[in-house]
Amino acid sequence: MTDRTDPLRIEYGAELDGLQVVHQPAPTGAASVSATYVGPAGWAFDPPGREGTARLVNQLVTSAAGRLDRIALARRLDRLGATLARQCAPESAEVSIWGPASEWGHLLEILADVVLRPRFDPSDVARARRQMRERQLREATQPASRAEVELWRAVFPEGHPYRESGVGSARSLARITRADLQKFHRAQYSSGEAVLVVTAPVGPAAVERAARRLFRSFATRTAPSLSLPPLGNRRPTERRIDLPGRSQVEVRLGGVSIPRSAPEYPAAYLANEILGGRPMLSRLFQQVREKGGLAYHASSALEAMRLGGHFEVQAGTGGDRYPKVVRLLRQELARASNEEVSRATLDTIRESAIGQIPLALESTSDAHELAVDVAYHRLPGDYWLGWPAKLRAVRPRDVRAAAALALDVRRAVTVLAGPLG
Amino acid sequence: MSPSGVARPPLQSFQLDNGLSVVLAADSASPTASVWVWYRVGSKNEWPGVTGASHWVEHMLFEGSPRYGKGAIDRAIVSVGGELNAFTDTDFTAYFSTVPRDHLSVPLDIESDRMTRALIADEEVERERTIIHSEREGNENWPEFRVEEDLYALAFRRHPYRWDALGHREDIARMTPAELRGYYHRFYGTRNAILVVAGGFDPTAIAAEIRERFSPLPATGEDVTVAEVEPPQRGERRSELSGPGTTPYLQIGWRSPALADPATPATLVLDTLLGGETRMFSAGAGWWRSAEHPSARLYRVLVDPGLAVRAASDFRPKFYPGLFTIQALAAKGVSLDRIEHEIERVVERVARTGPTAQEMEEIRTKIRRGAALAYEGASRIGFRLGYFSVLRSPEYEDELYRAVLRVRAEEVRARAREMLRPEHRVVVRYTPTGEGQDD
Repeated sequence: MTDRTDPLRIEYGAELDGLQVVHQPAPTGAASVSATYVGPAGWAFDPPGREGTARLVNQLVTSAAGRLDRIALARRLDRLGATLARQCAPESAEVSIWGPASEWGHLLEILADVVLRPRFDPSDVARARRQMRERQLREATQPASRAEVELWRAVFPEGHPYRESGVGSARSLARITRADLQKFHRAQYSSGEAVLVVTAPVGPAAVERAARRLFRSFATRTAPSLSLPPLGNRRPTERRIDLPGRSQVEVRLGGVSIPRSAPEYPAAYLANEILGGRPMLSRLFQQVREKGGLAYHASSALEAMRLGGHFEVQAGTGGDRYPKVVRLLRQELARASNEEVSRATLDTIRESAIGQIPLALESTSDAHELAVDVAYHRLPGDYWLGWPAKLRAVRPRDVRAAAALALDVRRAVTVLAGPLG
Repeated sequence: MSPSGVARPPLQSFQLDNGLSVVLAADSASPTASVWVWYRVGSKNEWPGVTGASHWVEHMLFEGSPRYGKGAIDRAIVSVGGELNAFTDTDFTAYFSTVPRDHLSVPLDIESDRMTRALIADEEVERERTIIHSEREGNENWPEFRVEEDLYALAFRRHPYRWDALGHREDIARMTPAELRGYYHRFYGTRNAILVVAGGFDPTAIAAEIRERFSPLPATGEDVTVAEVEPPQRGERRSELSGPGTTPYLQIGWRSPALADPATPATLVLDTLLGGETRMFSAGAGWWRSAEHPSARLYRVLVDPGLAVRAASDFRPKFYPGLFTIQALAAKGVSLDRIEHEIERVVERVARTGPTAQEMEEIRTKIRRGAALAYEGASRIGFRLGYFSVLRSPEYEDELYRAVLRVRAEEVRARAREMLRPEHRVVVRYTPTGEGQDD
């Protein structure tokens, strides 16, 4: 018999014109509810010459919808004690709502309204455009964001969706009309290939009934297809962006990695945790901060998406220390692929990762993130229950092999942004 | 929900003979347990020459104590799946570890070991010096940090709130390991500490374990009262900064009441009216402003018509009078003069007419809703209880919550009239040097 109250077990319900309804029991005693729509509406689908469209649409769907203009929607949310959130990525876009469990039905109504019936009021479009422009300018001049932008431009070729941050340019932003935004919304905020995840202290049948009633008028029911262009034979490079007047140099190393569906993912996950993903215990933290005393932060991240992925190693350090930091980052990245990790290190990191699962169940919003991850990647409903066993099956040689594939130093690009002198 | 409306588990509090205050909030359903130690020590207790000492001590308490050598604390918590960190502010230094509930003894053992016996070895202090420089440098890359640091330096001439908790660069470069150890032994001790444990545990058993682990510690920690009183501000103060960046930015600050001041509830309502929410009772998932608030006054006057890309107010009550601030990031082509003028008009209007009845009702609803959701998860419970305990008492949140709901529109108007006077403001403006203006 399965435990239908365990938040680690999510339940796939009906598919409504392609929209997969997913239910997750709320953690015991939780006072709140979370619901998320994830659709194929990332910036990979930006029309050529109108880069920035996906992000603008994602921002605007949470601004005003149906009969509620921006202020009316804000007041409705305030009255309910609810918060709308959004997130845009290369392949997908998310819209979420969080609020009191007792209002879960009203919250789903609002979520349906904003996903299906955004208004794109001209004043909202103008405001969102101004905010996006400010973000573009900041990305160009703030060392941390500039280093990120330059990293992915060096790793991925022209036309690759992972190459950009989705904000577009001044020129592309100026070209985007309200009609473009509406058209993008109709095509991409579809039911096809989309998921609706609800974490609530109500049963799956009630969630499904509400979803049938509220999420039935998508303009598009078929998912747009997406494929990644070939990567070509790109050489590892080093880019140096001198930004005088700043206090700190941001260092990034990164490259192409594996998709979430890759069989090597659990081993690659552990390889990244050992390298720089696990706070405090990782090699980067230990070598760069604890032993070297060279930087306040040093970490790594593995972003495994549906179609592909990328990895990144990062640190921020003073203008006089960055050469040493770059050497250490490269050294540790190379070690991940070149040297088999000890059984003791692997066990420590693995048990830390497994032990952390209860922390993800502290609140509804924390648990909800687990469910969205599973649902978006179409993983089995008991994925998180089986995750410890998957990690325990990983051997030291698997970690090394996965690192060679997913954290490949030979193809890693290096970017430095800050006061290089 | 408790009778006060602030939804949190029942509290049990007691004090050990050595002065350590203990607050327990047990929730049998919680899969985790969160241990927080809050010291009533922060940058307010520093003096010129040792600014940044509290923050540096925060770092050093991870670098070795009798039973936990360097790195051992991190390993002990993270290897059982827990997470840990610490932070320092003007009024406090706080450490937390959240662990799966079966491992609650691990953070309790750590905290009892390092509360009065951190080693703070010379070589570790030296190594940490560069890391602290690096942390400060990372912050300096953001114009917002530079502006806020200047704002407080301008607003306070005597009180130690005039420097940031990170400390001055020069003091970080100069401070000796002996000075740092002296600072730690002088202030960090049981008399200035509050231990908060929240989450899944048996309160009777944990109370016994706490007594066993912490009672042997000596009663230490000097008085942390700050003697300096900031004299009243007579006349506006201004500063113009320039540097790298692309977007003009400004912050305006006015002297604000301390947490325990009877004027604080009306000031929290004023913050909600102008900026859209108060951090104290926010429905957002975190302590930081999470969303835009289109119905807030500043948003409607500055962001809606395209004068600013962001605008908000901020009031985080401190132990002593701090600052109520308004900040705005100008839209392209809009001068800071124009932004400042519009802020003046918003402020004048609130001082003249106050909030409408509808606004007051909306603010009360927002605060009620926020308070009902603020306590989900052991970590958040530990944070909120510790925050209120270190500044006043764990029960004070209930008192404050009830007082905020009783605030009348007239009180908000009076508060704005009294506090947000032009001659009492401090203005810091940041003008970017012009790079990156276009593609």
